[in-house]
Amino acid sequence: MKKIILTLVFSCFIITLYSQNKTIISDLDGLTLNIGETFTPNTYVSNSDGLKSNCSNIIYYNKKGVFSSANSISVDVENGSIKANEPGTHEVVAICIGEGGKRHSRTFEVFVNYPKIKKVTLKLDDNSVYVGNYIPLIYEITDELDVIRTIDYWSSDIGIKYFSKVSFSLKALNDKINIDNSNNILAVKDGVSTIEADFDGIKGNINVNVLKNPTSKIELVSNNENSKTGDVIQFEAIAYNKKGKVIENLPIEFSFTGKSFDKSNTASGLILQDGRFVGDVAGKYIVTARVGNISTSKVVNIFKRNVKREMNTVGTGLVNDKHTSDFWVFEGVDGNDYAVTGTWGADGTSYFWDVTEPSNIKKIDSVQVDARTVNDVKVSSDGKICVISREGASNRKNGIIIIDVSNPYDVNIISEYTKNLTGGVHNVFIYENHVYALSNGERYYIINIEDPKNPYEVGMFEIEKEGQSIHDVWIENGIAYSSNWKDGVYLVDVGNGIVGGSPSNPVAFGNYSYDSGAHHATYPFKSKSTGKFYTVLGDEIFPNGVNSKGPSETAGFIHFVDFTDLNDPKEVARYEIPSHGSHNYWIEDDILYVAMYTGGVRVVDISGDLLGDLYKQGREIGYILSGSPDGYIPNDTMVWGAQLYKGHVFYSDFNTGIGAAKVAPVKPDTSKTNQHILD
Amino acid sequence: MRFLLVIFFFYNQIQAQNYYVYVAAESDDTVSLIKFNETEAKEVERFEVGYLPTEIEGPHGITVDPNGEFWYLSLAHGNPFGKLIKYSTKNNEPLDQTTLGLFPASMQISSVTGLLYCVNFNLHGNMKPSSVSVVDPETMAEIKRIKTGIMPHGSRISYDGLKQYSVSMMSSELYEIDAITLKVSRKLNLSNKMNMGKSMNDKMEMKMSEMNHSTIKPTWVIPHPSKNIAFIACNGSNEIIEVDLENWKISNRISTGKGPYNVEISPDGKYLVATLKNEGSTAIWDLDNMILLSKIKNTTSVSHGIAISSDSKYAFVSVEGIGGEPGVVDVISLKRLEKISSVNVGKQAGGIAFWKMEN
Repeated sequence: MKKIILTLVFSCFIITLYSQNKTIISDLDGLTLNIGETFTPNTYVSNSDGLKSNCSNIIYYNKKGVFSSANSISVDVENGSIKANEPGTHEVVAICIGEGGKRHSRTFEVFVNYPKIKKVTLKLDDNSVYVGNYIPLIYEITDELDVIRTIDYWSSDIGIKYFSKVSFSLKALNDKINIDNSNNILAVKDGVSTIEADFDGIKGNINVNVLKNPTSKIELVSNNENSKTGDVIQFEAIAYNKKGKVIENLPIEFSFTGKSFDKSNTASGLILQDGRFVGDVAGKYIVTARVGNISTSKVVNIFKRNVKREMNTVGTGLVNDKHTSDFWVFEGVDGNDYAVTGTWGADGTSYFWDVTEPSNIKKIDSVQVDARTVNDVKVSSDGKICVISREGASNRKNGIIIIDVSNPYDVNIISEYTKNLTGGVHNVFIYENHVYALSNGERYYIINIEDPKNPYEVGMFEIEKEGQSIHDVWIENGIAYSSNWKDGVYLVDVGNGIVGGSPSNPVAFGNYSYDSGAHHATYPFKSKSTGKFYTVLGDEIFPNGVNSKGPSETAGFIHFVDFTDLNDPKEVARYEIPSHGSHNYWIEDDILYVAMYTGGVRVVDISGDLLGDLYKQGREIGYILSGSPDGYIPNDTMVWGAQLYKGHVFYSDFNTGIGAAKVAPVKPDTSKTNQHILD
Repeated sequence: MRFLLVIFFFYNQIQAQNYYVYVAAESDDTVSLIKFNETEAKEVERFEVGYLPTEIEGPHGITVDPNGEFWYLSLAHGNPFGKLIKYSTKNNEPLDQTTLGLFPASMQISSVTGLLYCVNFNLHGNMKPSSVSVVDPETMAEIKRIKTGIMPHGSRISYDGLKQYSVSMMSSELYEIDAITLKVSRKLNLSNKMNMGKSMNDKMEMKMSEMNHSTIKPTWVIPHPSKNIAFIACNGSNEIIEVDLENWKISNRISTGKGPYNVEISPDGKYLVATLKNEGSTAIWDLDNMILLSKIKNTTSVSHGIAISSDSKYAFVSVEGIGGEPGVVDVISLKRLEKISSVNVGKQAGGIAFWKMEN
């Protein structure tokens, strides 16, 4: 035993003796460069005993990578030099390949000086500054490289980012303007004043003429005084001068305060500067209109929306040996009702169902193709042709399969089409004898299926951007709505005629994108109650990726974008529920039927003008959870899609297959029927 | 006698090695860890990979770093770019990730630079040149993207760690990248190009030259561990091309069965092993004499990747299967030239990497 211990001690000694720590030494350490400056670092390896050894080769790189850092510091590999391109602190990694191919690396912080400011220009968007108004100043900064950066009143974070190393001060040259510690600028007296901004010793100034407030009275009118949560009230403020005359074009600010009727809740709502107000929570709200130091208020009562209805599952068609993907319910040529469901990560099977009696959903046929995922299924409006998508085909040709579903009890494959679709088809749509099929998540092809035995390509649409990516396409009234992740929705004329497009000549005419970049599905929605036209855009987000130990967390929501003015789309409302993310959905008669993945099927009242947070406004009519103890993953709700069909809400669930639910009719309010008895 | 048998049994148990490989299942978004004890292969663990539970992200390429501490996985599909994920071999938990190009696929780490070289296969995109991404696995930063041919595949590093080789499937080229300068050092045309005749006008000629669509479809390249040659699997022409790396020219063409896809050489340099995708079999050659030793039928169809144990005794072959069939890892003895064991894994088993052997 003693021998073993001695051997171990000796071994440790030998290992310690020979394993010396090596460190990269480089004059990159603490280096400061100016923009445009080139530097050739001197780098070597030092042993812990101070001995220096040279690197036979050195590779430098900017740590975030050339594709994610806008090339802040570029590297000339051949000359072994670096060049500063962007201001700020950047990490440069030096990889030293020493003798015998031993690699050592170390990260160094290199600071690139912010370019000196050459000129400061101050601007105002609107010169009508009245006593009592805050002044929204715009700063235009020109640096020594003649790069101009604009910082407006609300984006000082950009200023902080770029000028964090620069001293900044702001002052007014007389007492007509007051500037607080947060650099908010308030007009306090009428007359001319000058505001002076100082960025690192470079001054810019602007003369501001503070006008005496001509307003002596504001009248605040609204189209409603007692309303429900979610209903939009339009306020109009009319300003009068001392003589009682209306003053036009005054900048009027709207604001509100409120108190919830329920003392356990808090008032909440939204007011826009065009006077539209919505209350999310039942309560008493005071809406105020203000011009400078003159204001007026009006009280509105907001009551509960009370749209809740009973919703129950009436029938299911269980698929529990594989995951279920998308589905489509259709009327067959025999007048009965049928559905088709796809499967995911399985064996390429699609199932056909008789759903004529939603309480008795029957599996009636199936088709198996060479694929692992049939992500999407669609049926033509005449109920004769079904198209299914393929991913994971063994020959990697994928494409689409066209199926005769004239007799859903005995469906037959008519043809396979793979041209330009080998990368996998994730989603399809059938519209007027054409299939719109996504290709490799990059673009969609338009395929004529008038003769379903001989389909042929007639057109293609892509947004022609580097890194273009598409997830879905939906067609209505000759307009294709494609969902292009970070590039948002594209409206493409494929036969509507609005810009002369056709299936063989698709022409884009509208686009809207949003910051999260998670745009996954689109449904066009013309509001029956208001006539407004929206594109309803859905996210798909898995915030924590795949949870291999249980259900995966979902996130994301439904965006309502007012597209009434095609050239100026505006995002006005959202439907978002806590901890559950959106997937596919359907809209009919101003009601949204949405698959919220882990949150089940949700039915939402989207009647009237839409503004703000629809969930908080109590617009949800009802919901069901579709998890089953017999599911592929037991009791795990993961609703994929929803479709209203002949009064039933059909849905597909990743773990349970297909189902149908019913929303109960509105019950008459009988709560006060016997009230007189108590009186 | 019984005593001798017992002794023999325990001796074998003591001598038997355990071999570990990782294999990716492209249509299941899973990776399996396989343990083989020289008698039987077992799936030790299967773990889900990727970020989108309802999208197939297609884990395609897999490699283990030279020290065996980490493994790296390429996810083919993203929005639209694929990803490279770094995992610990200790617990198989993801540690870091970076975004690469379109359909990142096969890759390997140079033991000299420590950098990872991954081809952006762009399998289903337009026929245009793609690239090799160079990633520092320590920081998981993509430090350079080097333009190569159309649909590059089969990223393999020379044994001295100084060169990276890949082939472009649709432009029939072998690319050699200097692992240190990160530049293409040489390019070899492998194709028997379409002869378009002299009447073609210049514009047309240029277009065809740009297209240069491959008839031989090279899908994999492996440099020899000690000789200055490399072997290329030509999926379209049913052959393996030998390239003289010193003189940078084709030195031999070896007929194979249908659809050679991946090709590897045992570390001792004795065996050349190729999957024949369209036959569902694995072929083994004696490299010294360039003799086909055996063609072994795989358990299912669509044979894909090969990982050879560091002692050159076993080839682990991934087999995709079709549709709902499970993927399979077949273990082939290179000495006995027979399939010893097979184990089911996720669907469309593809990328496979040898991790370690231990007692």
